Amino acid sequence: MHPVDTMGQNREGAEYGFAFLDEDAKRELRRTIFKAVCIPGHQVPYASREMPIARGFGTGGMQLTLALLGPDDTCKVIDQGADDSVNAANIRAFFALTCPGVTGTLRTEEASVIQTRHRIPELPLRADQILVFQVPYPDPLVVVESNAAKRRRMHGRADYARLWVKLYEDMVAFDEITISHRYPTRINGHYIIDPSPIPRFDVPKLHQAECLYLFGAGREKRIYAVPPHTDAIPITFNDVAFAVESFRDKTTGKRHVCRRCGADDSFLDEFPDNDGARVFQCSDAAWCDMRLERLEAAE
Amino acid sequence: MKPILDVENLTRIHGPGCPACLEVTGPEHDTNICRHCGSVVAVADASLRLHKGEVLGIMGESGSGKSSLVKMLYFDDKPTSGRAIFHDGGQAHDLFALNEAQQLRLRDMRMGMVYQNPSLGLNFDISAGGNIAERLLMSDELSYRAIRAKATALLTRTEVTPARMDELPRNFSGGMQQRVQIARALSTGAPLLLLDEVTTGLDLSVQARILDLIMELQEVTGVSMLVVTHDLGVVRHLTTRTIVMKQGRIIEAGLTDQILEDPQAAYTQQLVSSAL
Repeated sequence: MHPVDTMGQNREGAEYGFAFLDEDAKRELRRTIFKAVCIPGHQVPYASREMPIARGFGTGGMQLTLALLGPDDTCKVIDQGADDSVNAANIRAFFALTCPGVTGTLRTEEASVIQTRHRIPELPLRADQILVFQVPYPDPLVVVESNAAKRRRMHGRADYARLWVKLYEDMVAFDEITISHRYPTRINGHYIIDPSPIPRFDVPKLHQAECLYLFGAGREKRIYAVPPHTDAIPITFNDVAFAVESFRDKTTGKRHVCRRCGADDSFLDEFPDNDGARVFQCSDAAWCDMRLERLEAAE
Repeated sequence: MKPILDVENLTRIHGPGCPACLEVTGPEHDTNICRHCGSVVAVADASLRLHKGEVLGIMGESGSGKSSLVKMLYFDDKPTSGRAIFHDGGQAHDLFALNEAQQLRLRDMRMGMVYQNPSLGLNFDISAGGNIAERLLMSDELSYRAIRAKATALLTRTEVTPARMDELPRNFSGGMQQRVQIARALSTGAPLLLLDEVTTGLDLSVQARILDLIMELQEVTGVSMLVVTHDLGVVRHLTTRTIVMKQGRIIEAGLTDQILEDPQAAYTQQLVSSAL
């Protein structure tokens, strides 16, 4: 159990209890998490609290993380793979301020709770780790049905034919499925979730994982989960295989590699360097650093 | 002959309803509005039987309740009382006793509907082929190539050139939209088809070709049909048996040629004699 009340004892002049939220709010969040784990992929409504940042900036993920953190936890915050972007750095600073005892880290393997925006770490997560996603749009049906009440009934009936129609229209127009992120994924054979804007590359990591994945949408007031050892299948046709980004060069046909660590199996960011040339680098900064350390140690 | 659909005392009252509703409305009162509670009696005590492979016409003026009746059978609306039994594959489904998921499953896989207005039956934001694919996907066909092949075959059969299957139906003429709707309704090989004023609003030559198409498809597939229309020509062409509705009631039923040649009810006589 986490300490019930440390009001005013955190630091000089502190006016909030441990982990910012009041105990009732954390209890409700934990209860919602239990329900979400029990019904994999089901969007459970909850009373999203006001946070000191605006909705849409990761308040859903923050509330989940705050409800999970105890003083002996180690926490990591990722924004699009990097730990040092403004969003990630500030959220990590906020956790350090409001959760005394919690250690911040940049290393994936050290963290017990990882809050992430739009990436799953390259390093496979363990059973004692929890990955918390910041989710902008929790409902995959929102693109085909605007009425929220109808969407809930459709989820109940597993009535997802219209999502496949989207795929069909894609195949007709482009000869391939063009969804690059937020790829609809069927959890445990029933509910289809929006796995937040992770790239296709990360979707297979949801399937039969060791760790718990929690999704929090603060603005839309929904929490859902992909528990460990649960099927997570990206939707597709029987005769059209689901494919992840290949990072192959169009002219040479060879896969691009990270310019720092040389990884040829990671998700790469493409950007121009100072001379305007295209370069590729691991999107997961912690993974890239770890590989560099290993390479140096080997030398 | 085996029945495919048995409708018993189907009633639909819009509004609060009162015990007197059914007594003070109907053709003999020339109104379907209850003077006590103001409710509208859309359909009252409608019973009918449709046999396998039969085409049954439902005739009547606008507001007589014929579309309301068909809408309930397609679960677009819920009846106030009454039953409907759908005999399919050795099973008798009590339509209004099923839960919503079962109803929609039956509707998606075992029934087809063609509306008067194609915008009700088709999604204008997806291609003609996509509209047919949607029905196939609902019935668990998940192979892209099989869906493509089936959609092409269906559109060819309903005389829509497959070259246009990837276009949006909003760019089609009214007759073509109706053909796409028919192809969509036929796509799952459902044994029961509901046609609601399918030729209304089309010009005469297109009407004739759509009717020819429906007759041909009926002969090839042996599908049972309920054909709602106010057009005597459609009834004469398509149906073997006809019921006539007025103010929510069935006032006459029988063989089509009998009804058209020797109408019994005063309203039917008026209807038949007023044909241009």
